[in-house]
Amino acid sequence: MERPAATNIPVPTAPTYAPGSLSAVGGRFISRGRLGARALYWIGWIAFSRRSVVTAGVEGEVAAIGLGGLRLVASASVLVGLIATFQVSYQLAPYGAETLTTRVLAWFAARELGPIVVAILVVARSAASIAGELASMSATGEIDALRAMGLDPVKYLVAPKVLAVLIVLPALTVIADAMIPLGGWIGSTVFLGYSTNQFVEQFRESFLPRDLSVGIAKAVLFALVIAIISADEGLNAERKPHAIGAAATRAVVFCLIGVLAMDTMVNAIFYFIPSIL
Amino acid sequence: MAEAASALRVERLTGPRPTPLIRDVSLEVPHGETRLVLGPIQAGKSMLMRHIVGLERPISGTIQLDGERIDGDAEQDASVRRMRARLGVVFEGSALLTRISAMENVELPLLEHTDASPSEARDAARELLAEVGLSVAEHAAPEDLGRSAQRRVAIARALALRPSVLLLDEPTRGLDAYAAHEVDDLLTALQERHGFGTLIFSHEVRHAFGPATEIYVMERGSIVAHGDRQAMESSDLEVVRQLMHRRGDHERRA
Repeated sequence: MERPAATNIPVPTAPTYAPGSLSAVGGRFISRGRLGARALYWIGWIAFSRRSVVTAGVEGEVAAIGLGGLRLVASASVLVGLIATFQVSYQLAPYGAETLTTRVLAWFAARELGPIVVAILVVARSAASIAGELASMSATGEIDALRAMGLDPVKYLVAPKVLAVLIVLPALTVIADAMIPLGGWIGSTVFLGYSTNQFVEQFRESFLPRDLSVGIAKAVLFALVIAIISADEGLNAERKPHAIGAAATRAVVFCLIGVLAMDTMVNAIFYFIPSIL
Repeated sequence: MAEAASALRVERLTGPRPTPLIRDVSLEVPHGETRLVLGPIQAGKSMLMRHIVGLERPISGTIQLDGERIDGDAEQDASVRRMRARLGVVFEGSALLTRISAMENVELPLLEHTDASPSEARDAARELLAEVGLSVAEHAAPEDLGRSAQRRVAIARALALRPSVLLLDEPTRGLDAYAAHEVDDLLTALQERHGFGTLIFSHEVRHAFGPATEIYVMERGSIVAHGDRQAMESSDLEVVRQLMHRRGDHERRA
């Protein structure tokens, strides 16, 4: 018996997540913009909903991203404070200006160092895990199962993660803002021979509370960039086991570039329009 | 048996857009009966199921559940959305959500598609799990359960909204023979109690010897044979013989 004539049916390929087709032609921004808009819509819904399944998801995410990252952020921030102290003092010494070290630290810590250090650490720790988790859910059919049950994966999977990163990143930034000066204080007193009083005095003179709010605002922007890019990479991953690692790697790369680009933009705005704050 | 209205009727379905992978597929699942779509891997079985549950848009053809069309766009058509909730699905490998507990997996459709309060949903979930022969701890995560138990949770989740039709993709894959028989028996018992139609998608011939009274053989995106087990066993189509008797390969090699 002959086999039926070949009808030339192509081998089924993994159907991609709808916005994925856009990213294929270079519309990554469109895909991410749409995902971001839907995630923010569902965050609004979560805020007013009494249904517990999604809200429980947010708690879990905050614990995983926030509490899990606490030790890393705290210890890395102290080290960054020490590094900044040594570096600035070494650079200023030829000009006899090493007494400005603490002031420089105070200018930088909350406004720039805190948010960017935290963002990079969270990217390293969590962007890969967010993208990897969503990619593996896509590979095991969990995302299709949700959609087949009439449940929006953005609402159940992406929105809790975006909300969690939005909560965690500013909170960790505040902690880093405290730990970087702690590192600076250790550096100045133990190694450079300043007194604690000198350090505190100089720090207080140069530190502006509005730097703290600028830093936190930056953290909110970074949080959106990180959560949305990594979720988008995860959802758009191919349905193959090896695609999970690839999605995680791409998420880290694009998040780092995204965070740095966002930071550059914010700093440029402050530079060119100083009256803004 | 008096004339049984079809729970699920697929007519001349071709899809998905833009490149069709299944062509001109028609099948029917009456209430309280079991049908089997049997075919080699990559024959288009999963693609057919994806169409029925609305994950793919067809190019032409219709899908009806209890006489109402469900092949429209659920995002625009509320009745399609409502009807699709009457379709229970057990995906290959169970596809339980791993971030929430097994119990919450069963509660999820109730919380999303009904007005059940969280405590009502919890009670209903416990009942459903008892019905599939499981009593799981409140916070047990899906990955803490064995494969057979995961499959049962997936069945409980699929039955949460009392569907007209239960779709099962490779329901016993990855289970040992004993556990596979248990799942078969469970499905038969549940079907007798609730009267839903069952559609099984599988490449395993063992399902042909189960409760399925009619078999659709699928190859390369089309239904190539259809009939009861006797008809399939005496079929002289090679793909059917290979599937039913598993001897095509030996013959060719000889």
